[in-house]
Amino acid sequence: MSTAISGAISAAISLRSVGKNFGSLKVLDHVSFDVAQGEIVALLGTSGCGKSTLLNMVAGLLEATEGELWIDGKRTEGTKDRNALSYMFQEDRLLPWRTARANAEFGLEAASPAIPARERHTRANAVLDLVGLQGFADAHPHQLSGGMRSRVALARSLVTGPRILLMDEPFSKLDPQMRSQMHDELLRIHAMQRMTVLFVTHDVEEAIVLADRVVVLAPRPGRVREIVDVELPRPRTATDPSVAEAIRQLRLLI
Amino acid sequence: MSTVSRSSFASTVAQRFVLVILLLAAWWLAALRMPQFVLPGPLRVAHAFVGLLQSGTFFDDLGITLYRVVAGFLLAAAAGAPLGIALGSNPRVAHFFEPLLSIVNTVSSAIWAVFAIIWFGISNATTIFVVFMTAMPLILTNVWQGALTVDINLVELARSFRMSQTQIMRKIFLPTILPHFFAGARLAFGFGWRVSLVAETIGSSNGIGYRLRQAADLVQTDQVFAWTVTLVVLMLLLEAGVLKPLERRLFRWKKTD
Repeated sequence: MSTAISGAISAAISLRSVGKNFGSLKVLDHVSFDVAQGEIVALLGTSGCGKSTLLNMVAGLLEATEGELWIDGKRTEGTKDRNALSYMFQEDRLLPWRTARANAEFGLEAASPAIPARERHTRANAVLDLVGLQGFADAHPHQLSGGMRSRVALARSLVTGPRILLMDEPFSKLDPQMRSQMHDELLRIHAMQRMTVLFVTHDVEEAIVLADRVVVLAPRPGRVREIVDVELPRPRTATDPSVAEAIRQLRLLI
Repeated sequence: MSTVSRSSFASTVAQRFVLVILLLAAWWLAALRMPQFVLPGPLRVAHAFVGLLQSGTFFDDLGITLYRVVAGFLLAAAAGAPLGIALGSNPRVAHFFEPLLSIVNTVSSAIWAVFAIIWFGISNATTIFVVFMTAMPLILTNVWQGALTVDINLVELARSFRMSQTQIMRKIFLPTILPHFFAGARLAFGFGWRVSLVAETIGSSNGIGYRLRQAADLVQTDQVFAWTVTLVVLMLLLEAGVLKPLERRLFRWKKTD
């Protein structure tokens, strides 16, 4: 994958010297990198390196103190201009009083002009099928396992048909087996929809298995230490020698 | 699962039936050794009840009391729920007004009834006011506490989808508050119903409370019992026929099903 700065305008996400202060505390300092259309990029770092803050700024949940943020070739202003974007949180954050389908529909309810109920329904059903939850549309969250809840949350993020999917350690609460299942699921859907994915993780293995490129952040203040290309064929299994070696190499960097 | 719940339902019905029989038997035995004006027996009370039904004002009294309770309760809900949401979403305002709520809560319903007589005289407003003053703080407090339990994570989720403040209120706040509102409303209705009788005994010229006092003044103890039994049965029917099914339907998403 190319990381050339000249490609910035066509990049899905482009950060240029982005910095963030909380009061007098500098959390992020001159962070610059691009994410190409359809690319999967991991933000990797120890806790306290500001990776979630960085993602929240891209998502428009926080405002950058300095620098420029470009999305889809357009410079964003404050927390606006984030229509192409979907955000998946660390926890599934399902509304307990809604069924799986109604939770998926939640993603469509802010749209303006409003999407008719019938269409929301159809699209929610389709996206639940996509994440392998056909037959569970009418279940409430407390009736679902952790993995299934995670799938509902993924469905809610995908239902808007986002061109960019942001994820904040989205599978970290799952057990290892379930997590690797969700990785396969995400890669399968990515292969079909080719959306751009930027995700935060502290798990080196997760970064290598999923990402085309890994942005390694250094802490206090958060800054880019290195950007690593992962050029391994998929599917990648952590036990595969070449993958294991890549994981080892990356681990040495953080 | 359904067969288990069905058989446990049948056993519950049987147990309730036995309990009613036992109570009636104990009542009947006790009444044998007592003068009629102290403790009339079940049969005599049944007679008195038939008498009430034939008196012609039974349903009018029932209706007017019900009207006062429902009116006071609805006003309390209409005022208490928005105020509770307002306090729940503005901690500073809540902090400022909190003592006021304690004051209102410490004033007994009987005192409200006395004030109501002074202000409204013998009228519907007297009872409605007492029900309102009793029910409103209960609903307000519950809704307020409910608003404090709103999951900030869900609000952030709604923001990430760029929902408006109104949408966040409707889609996150209201569903979170609803169970608390329901619990408060239930409590408020029960209390309102009870204090309405107190208010009616001193501040009206009809309704169940008035009839109770009238019967007591004339030492018609059997009629007092007949009214009491009527009220108990009415409340049980309301609980089992309306509130329980409604609650089950509204909150079927909860774990404790």
